[in-house]
Amino acid sequence: MAWRARRYEEAKRLAASNLELAWWIFMRVSGVLLVFLVLGHLYTRAVLLDFHRDLDYDYMVRVMNSATWKFYNWLLLFLSVLHGTNGLRYIIDDHIASGRARAWVKVVVYTIVFLVTAFGTLALWGWNYQPVE
Amino acid sequence: MYRGREGQWAFYLHRISGVAVLLFLMLHVLEMSSSMFGPEWFNALLAFERNPVFGLGLVLVAALVLYHALNGLRIILMDFTSWGVRYQRQLWYGVWVLYVLIGFPMFFTMLGYVFGGGE
Ligand code: HEM
Repeated sequence: MAWRARRYEEAKRLAASNLELAWWIFMRVSGVLLVFLVLGHLYTRAVLLDFHRDLDYDYMVRVMNSATWKFYNWLLLFLSVLHGTNGLRYIIDDHIASGRARAWVKVVVYTIVFLVTAFGTLALWGWNYQPVE
Repeated sequence: MYRGREGQWAFYLHRISGVAVLLFLMLHVLEMSSSMFGPEWFNALLAFERNPVFGLGLVLVAALVLYHALNGLRIILMDFTSWGVRYQRQLWYGVWVLYVLIGFPMFFTMLGYVFGGGE
């Protein structure tokens, strides 16, 4: 991943494999979707919501009992995890010269990302949130 | 492509903001998902974070992700349009115009929540 294509034609020519070209395209498609998802998240949770006063367990229960918000948050989580982790993979490939070290750093990074994503998915889809009486 | 001047800056800022936001994302998912542990734990965690240090951290993350998003769109325009590369510098200034237009009202509102104690 030492190449850094700046045009689609160039990416197609330089990609070492179809898989790498697919990731290159995914970074752009997910990027466009993330603009809307991330700005929408910031607007609803950091601009409309007074997050230092009105964010509490009850707010969380309301979000977690809305199928729409759960789907929104799940899409935001999955796209940003895949996009961010693949981006970090590019950076690791660019900056860690030793093949052994590179492989180990990747194993550690992917493991952490996987566990955190599993935890987040459990919170979204595998948990029943009861309002406090 | 990312030779010298604006392009070089854009590239490093894009990298740094991307990694910083990924790191925040991991912490943020852990933090929010820990609401599974129940109201006592979750409300105590939020109370612990309700101070200007965490608040300013949040504004900083918002500032980084907004840059990454707008510059990401610039990259995508350069990749897929016939004119993007030619107008690369204009696009770079466009990123900052949009950044100010969207970002300043947003950061200002957030700072109000962080520092505006009481009703
Ligand atoms: C909000 C909308 C976003 C857009 C439009 C966007 C766009 C992009 C683009 C076009 C690239 C370049 C990919 C390449 O070189 O092939 C990229 C890289 C990257 N993005 Fe994003 N992104 C967004 C959100 C995010 C988020 C939420 C994260 C973190 C979770 C993230 C983390 C990264 C990382 C780590 C890289 C690698 C940087 C590098 O290789 O220098 N991005 N992004």
